[in-house]
Parts: sequence; C-alpha cells; structure tokens
Amino acid sequence: MDCLEFRRLAGADPQHPEAAVLAHAAGCPRCAGYLRQTQELDRHILAALSVPVPSPHAGRATGAAAPVPGLDRRRWYALAASIVAGVLVGSLLWIGGPRNSLAQDVLAHMDHEPEAFVVTTTPADDAVLGRVLERGGIRLRPEVGTVSYANSCRFRGRTVPHLVVQTDGGPVTVMVLRHERPDATVRFADHGFAGTIVPAGPGSIAVIGGSGADLEQITERVLAAVDWELD
Amino acid sequence: MNAPFTGKDGESAFARLCDELRPDLFRFAFWLARDRQVAEDVVQESLLRAWRSRESLAETGAAKPWLLTIVRREHARLYERKRFETVPVDDLVGSESPELAAAEEQQTLDLRRAILELEDDYREPLVLQVLMGMTTDEIASQLGLTQAAVLTRLFRARQKLRKRLVAGVNEEGS
Repeated sequence: MDCLEFRRLAGADPQHPEAAVLAHAAGCPRCAGYLRQTQELDRHILAALSVPVPSPHAGRATGAAAPVPGLDRRRWYALAASIVAGVLVGSLLWIGGPRNSLAQDVLAHMDHEPEAFVVTTTPADDAVLGRVLERGGIRLRPEVGTVSYANSCRFRGRTVPHLVVQTDGGPVTVMVLRHERPDATVRFADHGFAGTIVPAGPGSIAVIGGSGADLEQITERVLAAVDWELD
Repeated sequence: MNAPFTGKDGESAFARLCDELRPDLFRFAFWLARDRQVAEDVVQESLLRAWRSRESLAETGAAKPWLLTIVRREHARLYERKRFETVPVDDLVGSESPELAAAEEQQTLDLRRAILELEDDYREPLVLQVLMGMTTDEIASQLGLTQAAVLTRLFRARQKLRKRLVAGVNEEGS
C-alpha cells in the first residue's frame, strides 16, 4: 500500500482502519499523522452531528428563529488548528530542524490540501482557476492537461498558486513559488511521494506526484505551460 | 422464526426500543431534512409505521437499520408530497432551535454549518457512519450503493469538511 491508497482508505473509514492501513501507518509517520488528524476530525464531526433532540413530551418550539451569527474566522481557525495540531507536531519531529527546507515545507503543505490526492476527470472551475493564476501572476497554457484543483494558498508568508494536474500516473501537485529561488533543481522523495523543485521564472515551480507519476516528463510539460507575468 | 415483538410483552419491548432509538432516529431525520420540525414529523410518522409492522421484525438486533430504512423512506415520501423551498444555510442553522444550540460549543456549530452545506450524497453516508455507527458495508446496503462508492463518498465528505476548515485558516491568514 502506498501513501495515496492509505489516505483514501483512512479518509473513508478512520475509526476502523484495516490491518494494511495500520501496518502502513506504523512505518510512515506522515500517514500516521494523517490518520490521527482524521480521527480527530471525526470526533468534531460526531459532536456536530449530535444535534439536540426534542423531548417527546415537549410541544413544538414556535418562537421565531434568532439571528444567526456570521462565521467568525477565528473560530474556524481554532477548530482547524485543534485538528491539524497532531499532524504539525508529527511533521516537526520528522523535520527535526530549526527551519524547514523548501522541499519539506512543500510536502508539509500537501497535508493540508486533501484535493491533491483525488483522481478525477472533472476540471477545476474556470473562474476559480483564472483567479488563482491571476493572483499568482502567471498564465497557464492548456497543454499542461486537466487541472482538477486550483487554490491560492498561504505558503511561507506568500500567496501561491496550488494546482493539481491529472496525469496518467495519478494526480500531480504543482506549486508556483515566485518568491522561492533555489540555486539548482531539488529532487526529493518521501513516503511514496516524489518531487522536484525547479528554478523557473523569477522563482521556482514544485511538482510532486505519487510513485506512478513520470515526474520528469510532467515537470517539463508544466515548465513549458507556465508563462510568468512581470511583477 | 423468532418474533420478539408479538403479544403484550412484545408491544412493551418495542415501545422501549423506540424510546431508546428515538434520539438517533430524530438526528438521522434532521440530517436528511435539515429541518427540525420536518424531522419530528418524519420520526413520528415512521414510528407509527414501524408500530404497525413490528411483528415482521425478526430480531431485536435488526431494529435499528430497519427503523432507519423506514425513516429514510418516510422522508422521501414526505419530500414527494411536499416540495420544500430552498432555504439558505444560515436559515437552516437558525431554525435549529437557537436556545438549545446556545449551550453548545461555537466551533461545533461552525462545523454543523459546514455539514449542512454538504451535498446529500456526501452527508447521508457520513451521518450513517459517524453518528449511526454503521459499517461501510451496511451503508452500502442501506443506500443501494457499492462499497467502493460508499468509500469514495465518505472520503470526499471528509475532504470537503477539511477543505472548509483549511479555507477558514487561509482566510484568516490572508
């Protein structure tokens, strides 16, 4: 079982992981963190689903509904933070250094983007993709293939385009890092993922895929498809 | 065939069982209908139907999935009879008896709002799994889906909730 398969199974039934899932988690700290995170999410889901039950002997509530408070982002932050805390702790232990390498930060970021693991033929919404590209100061030629996910993500204090491109070898994550310029191409592999960070334009492009992805060929395709706009 | 709900003793046993399962049935109906009053109607009607058919229930252990099926069908029947207007999610949360909700954690209400926004196809299997404790096999049987389809829907349901949480963090950071 590779990490992608693990996440699909653990994300579908985190409370009853089968033996193969547990065996994988035992040897993969990142996936073990993902499982803990998903189990924690389930505890919150259970609390949310447990709506108050009216007494069978009570009359119907007839009062008008009270105004609904708007979504307070800080509350979201608190909830999300409590859920991801386990994974963050796990990641820090795994990294073990005072400052993460760019590759490690890219991999850690993927923990928070579950769309990166979805195999689909459905393209991302054109308007969303357009906004993400515009915000990231790039244009993308259609030759890149099916972009199934696009988001403007916070990464090292900057907003960067995070794309998922569907390939024959599975979904591949592309992060366009205008403000990160490594001296040379960085190649890395970790728990079933392989990635490369290639200097490009004013910064770099990170491409990460599963073990089935032909990373070199995909990276070339991505590099050829990205046009950088001037700052 | 064992018929645990026949005779006077069976009636009492069935009444106790319904009392015991009623909170689960109400919650299931609420997440189907996304409306407390509709959920109460669905549960009441379902329990009446169940009462009439109680002698067909062969074993106590099968009661919960059997009752959930009745609730599900009753909700579908009610939905066929009455086309509900589309209601904004804010109103859905508001209609959920705020005086009761006020005692709960605010973060729970936030996640509840996100679950209300899930499409039915994702919300229902999640409710059956997390709240009702059903296995993916049982959910597949209940919903008439393959187990693979159930796994996909459950994975995506959690993904959507997680994405919503992460989006909250990103908005905060922007």
